[in-house]
Amino acid sequence: MTSTMTTAPRRWVGFAGLVATAALVLTACAPPQAAEPEPDAGGGAEEGVSETLTVGYISPVTGNFAVAGQEMVDGWNLYWELNGNEVNGVTVETIVEDDAGNPEISLTKAAKLVEQDEVDVLVGPLLANTALAVAEYAASVGIPNLHPVAASDDLTQRNANDLTVRTGSMGGSQANYPGGEWAATDGGFGTAVTLCADYAFGWESCAGFVQGFQDNGGEVVEQLWFPNSTTDFSTYVSQIQAAGADMVYVATAGGAPGPNFLTSYLGLGLDMDRLLLNCCSADQGTLRAMGEQIVGLKSVSYWAEGRESDAVAELIEAYKEFSGGNVPGAYIAGGYITASLVASVLEEQGFVTGEELVAAITESTFEDNIFGSVSFDEYNNTVGPVYIREVVLREDGNLYNTPIATYEDVDQWFGQDPEEALGQPTYSQDFQG
Amino acid sequence: MNRRMLVNIGLLGLLLVVLLALPYFGVSNFVLGLASTILIAAVLASSVNFLGGDGGMVSLGHGAIAAASAYAVGWASRQGLDSTTQVLLALGVTLVVSFIYGLLSMRTSGIYFLMVTLAVGMLIYGLAFRLSSVTGGENGISGIAAPGDLHEEWIYYYFVLGIFVLTTAALWVVSNSPFGASLRGLRDSESRMRSLGYNVAQYKLGAFMISGTVAGIAGLLAVWHINFVSPSSAGVERSVLLVVMVILGGIGTLLGPLIGASIVVLVENVLSSYVDRWPTALGLIFILVILFARAGVAGSVPKVLAKLRGRGPSAAPPGDRSSSKGAPAPERNHTP
Repeated sequence: MTSTMTTAPRRWVGFAGLVATAALVLTACAPPQAAEPEPDAGGGAEEGVSETLTVGYISPVTGNFAVAGQEMVDGWNLYWELNGNEVNGVTVETIVEDDAGNPEISLTKAAKLVEQDEVDVLVGPLLANTALAVAEYAASVGIPNLHPVAASDDLTQRNANDLTVRTGSMGGSQANYPGGEWAATDGGFGTAVTLCADYAFGWESCAGFVQGFQDNGGEVVEQLWFPNSTTDFSTYVSQIQAAGADMVYVATAGGAPGPNFLTSYLGLGLDMDRLLLNCCSADQGTLRAMGEQIVGLKSVSYWAEGRESDAVAELIEAYKEFSGGNVPGAYIAGGYITASLVASVLEEQGFVTGEELVAAITESTFEDNIFGSVSFDEYNNTVGPVYIREVVLREDGNLYNTPIATYEDVDQWFGQDPEEALGQPTYSQDFQG
Repeated sequence: MNRRMLVNIGLLGLLLVVLLALPYFGVSNFVLGLASTILIAAVLASSVNFLGGDGGMVSLGHGAIAAASAYAVGWASRQGLDSTTQVLLALGVTLVVSFIYGLLSMRTSGIYFLMVTLAVGMLIYGLAFRLSSVTGGENGISGIAAPGDLHEEWIYYYFVLGIFVLTTAALWVVSNSPFGASLRGLRDSESRMRSLGYNVAQYKLGAFMISGTVAGIAGLLAVWHINFVSPSSAGVERSVLLVVMVILGGIGTLLGPLIGASIVVLVENVLSSYVDRWPTALGLIFILVILFARAGVAGSVPKVLAKLRGRGPSAAPPGDRSSSKGAPAPERNHTP
């Protein structure tokens, strides 16, 4: 305590430093151009004035979803690398921002892109909660928001608006309804047990399958749910065995659960022919991890890299070169098709943004793009083919998901009236439609 | 003594003036929004700081308390209730949740306290994730609007700044009250306080209620700011980041939470635009602070400055910012 008096000046200086630090960090975060007056948040650059379409691309390129996030970015960049980023006199400029899969960072990044970089379009992000949050923000500031990967049903249902469009994927339930239909009809299965990830995407995927299966006379005997963090699926596999159904439907959100499940399932000697997986359990990551033992594995998705089509072949060739021999998965395809949609709109109409851009995208129809014959519904959701796929080993040594059945023009309503469908509760363990 | 206090108060005033003047520097809405984000994170971090600094109880569950309050606002807003009801509901939920946290953790300390708060936090996270009819599940609740008067970004900034000043002042007052002194007593020797006749559990519960209330206020501010809440705001990562903020800034210091929150929020939101490996940068900053400046920025800057002025740093404890508190140097105290 004797030192109290002598410390006084030191404290003074110390505190001055503190204040300076605090003041600096608060103010120095303003980038050079931040001092400009109110940005034009209307999103409407006048015709002829701007010939650069600035795109803000939000994706989780770090964190738990970094692989998927990077693929989504790669698909987008790949298109512009192949085709050049100048279309019809308009240069497309992309600013990629990382949100680490955290909705709060997504929103800050979206605000940064809109207010500071004055982007004309927001693309992404990837995860359902981040996508819904950004879509809402984008709509509030009048900026169009394109979604290459996000599968949340509500993006084009309860949260649908004129500025949000799902460009590169399908709703969770939409993409799996045909799986149920196929299983109950061509597949020839009478009863099913389902195993789905226990959160929104799994609930939606399962709901799609279950409704498709039941609408066509199938009976779901048991529904099992696993937490996303599950690594050992053997208990679930024995429950599946005990359920004694004709077939098993499995929906994961991609990543490790797909291979982990298959390892347990095949390890217990169960029959692969009775298995139907969703998009992401049988994506290229799973195929690469499991190898040739899963040739013949069936799954259901809007993306089939093994489909005979010039558009698909072109993408595969380009991506192989880009990645050193890998086959593109759905996230690559989603980014790629989103870029091709933007390019085709610019080609036809020159520089457009705002609701016009979204309207132009949703008015376009495709005879054959990488997803097949695609159009959009009034809620700005993709209407297109869903494939029942089988894993095939090709001469190049890679495994491909190759279509064995195709359901054309699948929309998100399963024959229901949209109003009525929107009046239902959102899908959960307790409500599967 | 008086002179030093005057200087401190003067400098605090200066900081306040800078913060007040920020909207007049012609910064964009984005920068103002970012400043609000920092201040909100600072309010939340200061609730952790109070409990950790004065009470020696490091919580890994405060992110979830804020999220519970945010979910209350979100749910009320989805039911179409007005903003007064939203606030009351948020405070009610905050008090109930803090009480549960407090009851479960009041007889523990150190690592056990950490585990209990972690567990209750995970429980709230699980509810947010699974109870989709109330919370919207993984999708969260969007479109939660702040009351009409607060829509403008600069007005909201002032609102947040006001709350930040109020909560910081309130925590300072509590910390300098006899109650705060008893808490520091508990931190330094629980058994001695017990033998002196203090009801230890009751003090801990009280401290948790105060800290939890501040966290709940931060949750309310956050949800009105970003108009959205989802399970990730209740996740353990968020709570861990809060502890990181507090340690970076300097545990037990008045402005530590603000400094720590500034560093973390700026790395997350600004540095990440320029550096791909920003999580590594955050990790490096954290490691460097732990290795070379364990008292955090607020605790170490005075030491460094003193050194630069040619005074040996060994003579006195590092300049504890909140001087009148008379708390021991941060390194000296308690686990963990």
